[in-house]
Amino acid sequence: MIGVTIDGRRIDVPGGTTIWEAARRLGVDIPVLCHDPRLEPVGVCRICLVDIGEKKLTAACVRRAEDEMEVRTSTPTLDACRRGLVELLLSDYPCDAADRFKTAPDELLGLARELGVAWPGNGAGSTAGARTADVGGILAGGGRPVDDSSKVISVDHQACILCDRCIRACDDIQVNEVIGRTGKGYASRIAFDLDVPMGESTCVACGECEKVCPTGALSLRDLAAGADGWERV
Amino acid sequence: MRLIRELEKLQEERGYLDPASLRELASRLRTPLYRLEGLASFYPHFRTWPVPAVTISVCRDMACHLAGGDGVADALEVEMAGRDDVRVEETSCLGCCELAPAARVNGRASRIGGIGDFGREALDGSLSVERPAPRAWRCDPYGTGSRYRVLSEALAEESADSARDRIVKVLEGAGLRGMGGAGFPTGLKWKLVRREETVPKYVVCNADESEPGTFKDRVIMEDLPHLLVEGMALGGFVVGADRGIIYLRHEYAEARMALDAELRTARAAGLLGRRVLGSDFSFDIEIFVSPGGYILGEETALLEALEDRRGEPRNKPPFPGQVGLHGRPTLVNNVETLALVPGILKHGSEWWRSLGKGEHAGLKFIAVSGHVERPGVYEIEMGTTVRELIEEAGGVSGGRALKAFAPGGASSNFLPADRADVPMDFATLEEAGSMLGSGALVVVAEDTPMLPLAANVVRFFRNESCGKCVPCRVGTEKASEMLESTMATGAPLDWETIEKLQLLLCETSICGLGYVALNPLLSVAEHWPHEVPGSPGSRHDE
Repeated sequence: MIGVTIDGRRIDVPGGTTIWEAARRLGVDIPVLCHDPRLEPVGVCRICLVDIGEKKLTAACVRRAEDEMEVRTSTPTLDACRRGLVELLLSDYPCDAADRFKTAPDELLGLARELGVAWPGNGAGSTAGARTADVGGILAGGGRPVDDSSKVISVDHQACILCDRCIRACDDIQVNEVIGRTGKGYASRIAFDLDVPMGESTCVACGECEKVCPTGALSLRDLAAGADGWERV
Repeated sequence: MRLIRELEKLQEERGYLDPASLRELASRLRTPLYRLEGLASFYPHFRTWPVPAVTISVCRDMACHLAGGDGVADALEVEMAGRDDVRVEETSCLGCCELAPAARVNGRASRIGGIGDFGREALDGSLSVERPAPRAWRCDPYGTGSRYRVLSEALAEESADSARDRIVKVLEGAGLRGMGGAGFPTGLKWKLVRREETVPKYVVCNADESEPGTFKDRVIMEDLPHLLVEGMALGGFVVGADRGIIYLRHEYAEARMALDAELRTARAAGLLGRRVLGSDFSFDIEIFVSPGGYILGEETALLEALEDRRGEPRNKPPFPGQVGLHGRPTLVNNVETLALVPGILKHGSEWWRSLGKGEHAGLKFIAVSGHVERPGVYEIEMGTTVRELIEEAGGVSGGRALKAFAPGGASSNFLPADRADVPMDFATLEEAGSMLGSGALVVVAEDTPMLPLAANVVRFFRNESCGKCVPCRVGTEKASEMLESTMATGAPLDWETIEKLQLLLCETSICGLGYVALNPLLSVAEHWPHEVPGSPGSRHDE
């Protein structure tokens, strides 16, 4: 066992435990968008960054706790970074994203509410017909397509934050191996097979990708408004 | 390495990666289609469309921008209008900044003189390729004498372990540091990897210099391939690796030929292979040609590529010295670092230290580009001032005055002319507010507008961001858009937002690309505030 201190509270965890997991055992939920406890962590959204007294902040979801490590999950810098990252993501986020049908709440919008990030989406401000809006001085992006070729799942690339959860869920939970990333940099997108529409791919419509998706990027189709059992977020 | 090599082979055979062939390959290799899509769409060397007879790739980056390269691609496109056998495209820095403005035509780099002449010669295949004649370099301990003596003497020592101890000690005594940009002490790195107990271990030479202004490793590989091979073998001997890989950028065809020839020579002489020179040490080297992209110079992205994945940097720690290629301890060193090792071991750490000026130690290869009379690679004494090096390169071109310089490539902060007396070394350049970086001095003459230059650099990092982490993928794009808009309209930059983006890039990115992406812009705003509308300095003057 190794002993780590998180925000002044100490916990003993087995070697190899991540900081994020150790915090969870203490009842501290470090916010994160790209991680799901059922998946191998990738540390790409950077929301779960913590301060362990090193030169650089470190992603709690991937970093293993070390003996006598002192972790701070909130500092003025960390708070500013977390907020700024959410603003970056929201500047590309479709203003109507919350109208989509999801099996779980939209985690990006949940985090935005928690951090008090003002976002003009979903009726909160005028968007003049544009799909996205400026957030916190960051210019709105746009132009990414919606793929409604699947009968079951709608893919809104504009709402995708490239968290990699669907990719890992498809590979590691369902072993279907359909989803990957195509392109590079800002032009990266998730893609099915050789970047064909989802409905023409080898996707078997199991729904796992929609279930793990933390945003409105992968949502359910063909559900009449008010269908029983589905939460409308 | 297998998947990427298969894709390369396929592209060679068919001209491009067509969907039918990719499907066939996926089924033959039993790999998911998305994996091939991920690679084919990530690496710029791969083409997923039919390739015309002639492809002209025009460099859009720093040195070519300074040489008036903006608009060259558009002009060539107009020149080639109506021809479906020609494709004109823009590309990132080609690593031949001494030819600026430069382009590659079907894989060969050339200077673009006049648009008309260049276009005609590109079509009839008569473009001449300028190559500097091989030179004698001071770091080469052999001259015309017999080579690899440092390696053979180390292997002949009675106790291999004391030979290893001695090598590490000499490197530490010499104070040799990584010459790729990070400056990590080389002796310490070798010692740390040697200490690891997991086997097998690997030696990887990072020969993927791709930062605008940087081309020193290209010249080292072309002129001194034997020193690189010997340096790698010595690294393998010390850390206990039996396999070395040179990760080479694909634009460096001449370097590849020189290295291939050298590897053949070394194998024939028993200097590589099983039981080198009859000793217990076995070591061989292969070349892996990168499918392209600046980010592959980041050592963990490079390892991802060697493992047939998209070249996206890993979260660190663990570092490659402990968990590197295929999860094994891996010694990753830059070309120049490895090539300097034989000379240092041959003549000793005192000799090396005495080569620098004053308290500065050793020699340094610097690529000089931009507004100088004789751009090229110079082997300087560490501690040579920027001003002296510019003089050695013939002075600022056209007899103009110096305005600015970036001493360590596109990621290093611009400094104003009044700091040109700074000695070139790690600490002195940091104190002056910049860095030695990738060993690339970019010279900027008077009357050069600094904002377009800074925007050019930010755009480069945007273009080369791998897209893995949010701050870099989105932040470089947003910053670049803000700069484009300010340059188009003259409207002041929203500086609060620029500072926010800088915080996110610097503090939250996974790798160095994000950390440095806005530094050049901020240095321009610091030293030339009048040229950056909206910057704090510009406001004071209003």
